[in-house]
Amino acid sequence: MAQAKEGYFTRFSVRQRLEHLLIMVLFLVLALTGFPQKFFTAGWAQWLILHLGGIDRVRWLHRMSGILFSVVALEHGGVVLLLVLMKRIQLNMVPSKKDFWDAIVTLRYYLGLSEEQARFGRYDYRQKFEYWGLIFGGVIMMMTGFILYFPTLFARFLTGEVIPAAQVAHSNEGLLAFLVVILWHIYNAHLSPDVFPFDASIFTGRISEERMEHEHPLEYARVVAEKGESASPEEIADEGSSKEKSDEPSSE
Amino acid sequence: MTMDAQKHQPMGWLIGAVVGALFLLLPAMLLAAESVSPEVQFCLNCHSNKTLELVLQSGEKRSLYVDVDSFARSVHGDKLRCTDCHGDISTFPHPTRSFKNLRQFTLAYYESCKGCHFDNYTKSLDSVHYAILSKGDLRAPLCVDCHGAHDVAPPAVPRSRVSRTCSRCHQEVYRRYARSVHGKVLLQDGNVDAPVCADCHRSHNIEDPRTVVFHLKTPELCARCHTDEKLMAKYGLSTNVLKTYLKDFHGMTASLHKREQITPSAVTAVCTDCHGVHDILAVKDPSSTVMKANLVRVCQKCHADATENFPAAWLSHYEPSPKRAPLVYYVKLFYQIFIPFVVLGLVLQILLHIWRVVVNR
Repeated sequence: MAQAKEGYFTRFSVRQRLEHLLIMVLFLVLALTGFPQKFFTAGWAQWLILHLGGIDRVRWLHRMSGILFSVVALEHGGVVLLLVLMKRIQLNMVPSKKDFWDAIVTLRYYLGLSEEQARFGRYDYRQKFEYWGLIFGGVIMMMTGFILYFPTLFARFLTGEVIPAAQVAHSNEGLLAFLVVILWHIYNAHLSPDVFPFDASIFTGRISEERMEHEHPLEYARVVAEKGESASPEEIADEGSSKEKSDEPSSE
Repeated sequence: MTMDAQKHQPMGWLIGAVVGALFLLLPAMLLAAESVSPEVQFCLNCHSNKTLELVLQSGEKRSLYVDVDSFARSVHGDKLRCTDCHGDISTFPHPTRSFKNLRQFTLAYYESCKGCHFDNYTKSLDSVHYAILSKGDLRAPLCVDCHGAHDVAPPAVPRSRVSRTCSRCHQEVYRRYARSVHGKVLLQDGNVDAPVCADCHRSHNIEDPRTVVFHLKTPELCARCHTDEKLMAKYGLSTNVLKTYLKDFHGMTASLHKREQITPSAVTAVCTDCHGVHDILAVKDPSSTVMKANLVRVCQKCHADATENFPAAWLSHYEPSPKRAPLVYYVKLFYQIFIPFVVLGLVLQILLHIWRVVVNR
């Protein structure tokens, strides 16, 4: 069955791939410069700070990466908003009631209570969870990060207690984000038996027809139906990349 | 005849001997120096003369009188002979020596102490005083400037003597110290728990307190007493001050800068930057720099644009609690519950997935 389907679908646009790459690199730099600050009494943290050139430089790196992260986040939000207003994309990433039931069905399947498997659209509930986790986590990190960067400015119109609160939130939210990425994202994108060793579609922008049919059957059906049975997957792919069709917040 | 007289008057011979001995011992006995050695007494034959003096090249006069009373009372009175320190003058008449001025005279004997006090002498070579001396500033204190020469007494008896000794040169600092919470309780109430100059600055290896290194060491200095449970309990003071400081931004920065041994671009606040140094007051004192009403001015020393709200960013050495800093406390609590909840949920789902994959095989 698999041999018959060797075509590829375009899943991510160049912009989306670039955004992922930037966020990935910035996330790593932020984690690398953030954790030694969170755990600064630990030997490894002090070693790292020392080898990165001292706490002043570590903070500088962290703040610059934070600013760049915010720029990418704003770019993403702005572009998505623009595309939505221009009706160029559908809101594929918005959680729906179906996602809730998909999660229940999937858990029942994992537990062996049922053999029924959820049929996902363009993004399954796990991917949506991660996307919105990143959005909300990112917003908290950016807000608290800027409060900590400019404490006197924010204390002009907020109570001073917001600053230590922001510090606690920034430190904990950062830990949470890191744990989610380490456990959940690394599992789903690398270690899961479904994709092991590496789900490369966010870098290549492509997904195999086989995986498309298996992991996103509803999306597969929709795309195939749109193009008609005659269209080859490659044509679909070309069409998909020329327009900003494939997109995160897009679903019917 | 005298022989006869002696023979026939044995009592007279005895009286003569006693009187003779008394006469020989008279200078020493008159000076009540029963504990000084005969060699000292020998020198005193001349040096007990109050008018004995040496005219230096500069025209200054150096008295050569030794008050044997105060020498006898000194810590060295029953231990040292004159030549132990004045080793260059063991013969009489003394070898001729000439000195430019009084300071050169003192300097000439500077190294006399190290024969016995080698550890303290070595330490003093690391001091800021020695540093300025080696740069040619002869005002730098030598051993005798603080300890005295013939009248060396225990330096910390009474304890306040230490600070008074320093005050001979550092008058202005002493004046501020005397008004501080530490100075007041020691100088006025005689409370010996309070620190004197040497407790923070040390006595022989006194560091230059104006350096970044010393600045970053400050929390450690203060903590020696302020983390002492027993001592702080006496005054109802918290011993959490160091812990809470080190956890906060400034404390973290200071402890990392200290480790790095790189001169930091900007120096972070340590204890003394907020509380004051020599003029430190009790935190309950209305004029204390860390009183709520005064705190914003302290913040503004570094954060020029700080406003009235800003000092509340610092939790005043308190751990966040529902009463103190509720916002911080509840944010912390939220994450203490939320992080394990999310992580456990995700791990559970991953494990279930793996389990299902295994079962499917």
